[in-house]
Amino acid sequence: MTSDTPAGRRFRVFNRRRSAPSRMRRRLGAAARMLAALALAGGVYTAFAPGAFAEDTPQLSASAQEGKALFDNSCISCHGRNAEGVEGRGPSLIGVGAASVEFQVGTGRMPMTRQEAQAEQKPPQFDKAQTKQMGQYIQELGGGPEIPSGDLTMSLEENPEALAAGGELFRINCTSCHGFGGGGGALSSGKYAPSLHDATTEEIYAAMLTGPQNMPVFGDNQLTPEQKREIITYVKMQLQEDKDPGGLFNLGRYGPVTEGVAIFIVGITILVFAALWIAGKS
Amino acid sequence: MKRRKFDLAAVPGKTAKGLDERLQVATPLRGLLNKVFPDHWSFLLGEIALFSFIVLLLSGVFLTLFFDPSMKEIAYDGAYPALRGTEMSTAYASSLDLSFEVRGGLFMRQMHHWAALLFMASMIVHMARVFFTGAFRKPREANWIIGIALFLLGFLAGFTGYSLPDDGLSGTGLRIASAIMLSIPVVGTWVSASIFGGEFPGELIIGRFYIAHVLLIPGGLLALISVHLGLVFKQKHTQWPGPGRTNSNVVGERMFPRYALKQGGFFMAVFGVISLMAGLFQINPIWLFGPYRASEVSSASQPDWYVMFMDGLVRLMPAWEITLPIGEGYVIPPLFWPAVVGLGALFTVPMMYPFIEARRMKDNKSHHLLQRPRDAPERTGVGAMAFTFFVIATISGGNDVIADKFHISLNAMTWGGRIGLVILPPLAYWLAVRICLGLQQHDREVLAHGVETGIIKRAPDGRFYEVHQPLGPVDDHGHPLPLDYAGWVVPKKMNRLGALAPAVKGFFFPVEKPAEAPVSPGMPPVTAREEREEITSGR
Amino acid sequence: MTVVKEPHGAHGAGEEPLDLSDPRLSRFEIVREGARRDDIEIVTYESQFPGPNTRAEKRIERSVALLFLLAGLLGFVFLIAYIFWPWEYELGHTTSDYYTPVLGISLGLALLAIGFAILTWAKKLLPHEVSIQDRHEAMSTDEDRQIAGQTMLFTADELAIQRRPLLKGAVALGLTPIALAAVAPLVGGLIRSPHKPDHGQDPPLFRTGFDPVPNEGKLVRLTREDGTPIRPEDVSVGGQITVFPGIPHGATNQYADSPTLLIHLRAGDAAAARAATDGDAKNKGAMWGNYVAYSKICTHAGCPASLYEQQTNRLLCPCHQSQFLITENARPIFGPASRRLPQLPITVDEEGYFVATSDYREAVGPDFWERP
Repeated sequence: MTSDTPAGRRFRVFNRRRSAPSRMRRRLGAAARMLAALALAGGVYTAFAPGAFAEDTPQLSASAQEGKALFDNSCISCHGRNAEGVEGRGPSLIGVGAASVEFQVGTGRMPMTRQEAQAEQKPPQFDKAQTKQMGQYIQELGGGPEIPSGDLTMSLEENPEALAAGGELFRINCTSCHGFGGGGGALSSGKYAPSLHDATTEEIYAAMLTGPQNMPVFGDNQLTPEQKREIITYVKMQLQEDKDPGGLFNLGRYGPVTEGVAIFIVGITILVFAALWIAGKS
Repeated sequence: MKRRKFDLAAVPGKTAKGLDERLQVATPLRGLLNKVFPDHWSFLLGEIALFSFIVLLLSGVFLTLFFDPSMKEIAYDGAYPALRGTEMSTAYASSLDLSFEVRGGLFMRQMHHWAALLFMASMIVHMARVFFTGAFRKPREANWIIGIALFLLGFLAGFTGYSLPDDGLSGTGLRIASAIMLSIPVVGTWVSASIFGGEFPGELIIGRFYIAHVLLIPGGLLALISVHLGLVFKQKHTQWPGPGRTNSNVVGERMFPRYALKQGGFFMAVFGVISLMAGLFQINPIWLFGPYRASEVSSASQPDWYVMFMDGLVRLMPAWEITLPIGEGYVIPPLFWPAVVGLGALFTVPMMYPFIEARRMKDNKSHHLLQRPRDAPERTGVGAMAFTFFVIATISGGNDVIADKFHISLNAMTWGGRIGLVILPPLAYWLAVRICLGLQQHDREVLAHGVETGIIKRAPDGRFYEVHQPLGPVDDHGHPLPLDYAGWVVPKKMNRLGALAPAVKGFFFPVEKPAEAPVSPGMPPVTAREEREEITSGR
Repeated sequence: MTVVKEPHGAHGAGEEPLDLSDPRLSRFEIVREGARRDDIEIVTYESQFPGPNTRAEKRIERSVALLFLLAGLLGFVFLIAYIFWPWEYELGHTTSDYYTPVLGISLGLALLAIGFAILTWAKKLLPHEVSIQDRHEAMSTDEDRQIAGQTMLFTADELAIQRRPLLKGAVALGLTPIALAAVAPLVGGLIRSPHKPDHGQDPPLFRTGFDPVPNEGKLVRLTREDGTPIRPEDVSVGGQITVFPGIPHGATNQYADSPTLLIHLRAGDAAAARAATDGDAKNKGAMWGNYVAYSKICTHAGCPASLYEQQTNRLLCPCHQSQFLITENARPIFGPASRRLPQLPITVDEEGYFVATSDYREAVGPDFWERP
């Protein structure tokens, strides 16, 4: 239904809708650039340091070569040479696959600005092509899951049940952390499950496949690619694109907390002012 | 054909006469019409609750026409595509149908829910007004107790209503309710099994909650609200102290014509605000929650705001389990203390408060004059303490949402709540008492010395002093004679004497009162008659 | 309107009631006399305007009228929208999504306009009034109190219950069973024993769907929500899956205590978990390979404690934030839960599917008094 309307088509473009970066974001971005510059300097040093060439590298495709260059500039300080990981700083990336790289780098979570409870989503530092190249490098290095190409949602004309099936799977596998409305939720000690409202279909797919950070992995045996696409269809069409039928504002779909705030800030406030006016002397 | 001439104008008179001949209503009606109500904005807060209750009844009746409280499992085949084919209870399916297949049904549902939130919120605000002004004192203790019972009934009505749609969120709430029942020592499992008709969730609970929600609890609410209002009528409303106001009179407007008209207008306003909120803000989108499954849950699972204090207390409770080493061992789970003992205490202790205070103050007189919060610092302190406790508990009931949206550690929020619950209420008590005493002191200073004018004069001997504008008569030296403390507003600015009401027009643009208005209407120039009592604060 | 000012009380002992049959009396004077008879003194009742038909009055009259007309217009808008606005739900961003907002805003504003109109009428057009009513607080006279009290005592005297101990006993013995009999069917029908054996089995308090006994002794498989069994390779490392007992209706609310979380731990974490499990009397041997299964039902209040953090190996319950550490027998490490999550002993059957080797070895679900 939606995919027929022009609006539906427009929103199916896979670009993340980004608002103007906040001051916080800009600062983080500046910090990230600073760090990247430092990493670059380190990378340059490593490149010219004796012994850097002694390692025999496996045969890499041209694209992966490009990716390796980017990796050696930006990632090597934490993930180590040949992505083998550095104790206490970053895990090995052998076997995480292109999907993981595309999720972590594509959402700006990597490179991290500092070690904290959880990598924050930031404006990505690499464009789509660079991200793909890095993904290719990691893929050729150790294999691992990949995001299939093509449309990751399902057409409701062909699969009318996909939406309901996706909803069912979403509620049993995803809502416990991301919430019924997809707004995200808190985890222990400062960690959190992010909101899904701005997530692209590829990000959601990659996240399910690779289990970034504390998210559990949903491998293809557990949730088949078909089922993953059903979940994405539900998230995309029901949670992201469907306008809430119950009002102009959905209060973030956070449930009773924001509803309780609203009744005091709107309802009680207006009526107390009304009472002041009614009993007022003028 | 000859017809008798029909005199339309005489019909009301004749009807009235006929009625009175049969029922003798004129005399009691005279007394009813002739009732004086004092006018103050804070006396209108209870009305918000009353009017939202009326909206609740109206919208609730509409909802019952479509809702089916059955837990029979069916496969949904309705207008909402994302649930089509899903197995769900009939109750949930009929709630969906009510939202999507009844014209205007979603609007009515949202109106019902917002009205419920407003009902509870206005009760709290009204209760705060009654508490902080001492309106619960003799002879109104009964009405205070009824008020708390109304809050408890509203709490139950809200919880049962929250459970009825049988969606993912309400089922989670039911699950917690069953766990709370299970936590009661000795009889817990029996209570839960009896209420749920066996193991949770069974197939009876929605039907049982339904009859409670649409008949038993509203019946109780209706009865108690009637008694509540009847007592206000019988005992007449309290009033603020002020010129001409004594403990044995009521100064204000008669019910007709103006007061009743204002009430009617305010009802429309309350109704309007509820409608606006129902249209602007989506509430409880049950279609996103899915049917209740024991294995499914959402982050940020909360009860409605008026239950949140209990949920907050449950969250803050440390994991203290009491094990009794008798036989195979018996357990009192940590859930029992905040949810059963805590809830019981939060409803019974306030009920006792009027008697506790009367005993402490050795005060068994009747009071019809209110006290400003500053004139009863200890009570205000106790109130501040209670409300701080309530607010911290309520905030902790939503601490995961706060943690998530403001990037605070969840564990830190819990610890913050635990510590805050112990430290902040006494602090609030102390602060409130100090503020009250300070304000009182300032009033007394004004009464003793007059209003500060900001004009500094220098005496011939070189001393500086500020000129005070006297409030009343002055002595031979021009110094104001000290006035008695009356427990009511004193002027704080120059040239605002006489009429004590603030000479402010509108909220935002203070305009001095036009000169032709001789007196401020609410504060009439009534000269106290000889037989009247002294103006007191009622202490 | 009449301006009335009376410096001194209009009512009092010396005042004669007004003769209402006097034809010269105005209606207001009759009203005031009525008020007087209810001990109300109307001190001020004066028009808010200096004279009749002032411009200010006309202006307010016009705005009240305007507000009523606005309300009418908005009510009309509401009706039109109610009838003609598309209202049936459609996926996506459609006009029907604005049905509820349009209804709410038009009705809300219409009602607010009416309210505002009435209030303005009352506040601005009606004369303002100050009346004083006596409260008449302690009104029963001593004589009335005495009469009421004596009447009640007289009734008791006449019944002479004190003098007739036989009647006293008989009444008590006769009425108590009647009262109980009236209450018994109301309450008794509700009472259910939680310990009643269920089809010859343990009561469901201590049993879940994984109990092999009702399954004709066969070990119960772990299945997905659609009933399909699960192989070890179905769950990736660092993954978790919600499993249900593979029996009829196993995934429905009929077995509300049965949902279980099957987790595939990383090798390092699994070693730690195994060491902890095998060191525990009850959980010994419950793991299979790097897989561990814990009840999804929180031991605190019964919510599904299913927020699994795969790096820290914590399970978080979203209702009250209890946190359980998987690698240490799901011991509670934060929040109000006082008891660990029960572990389901699992293995893999000859066909390669997960089965529960027995039911849970501890009571599942929220805590209760007689939990062993």
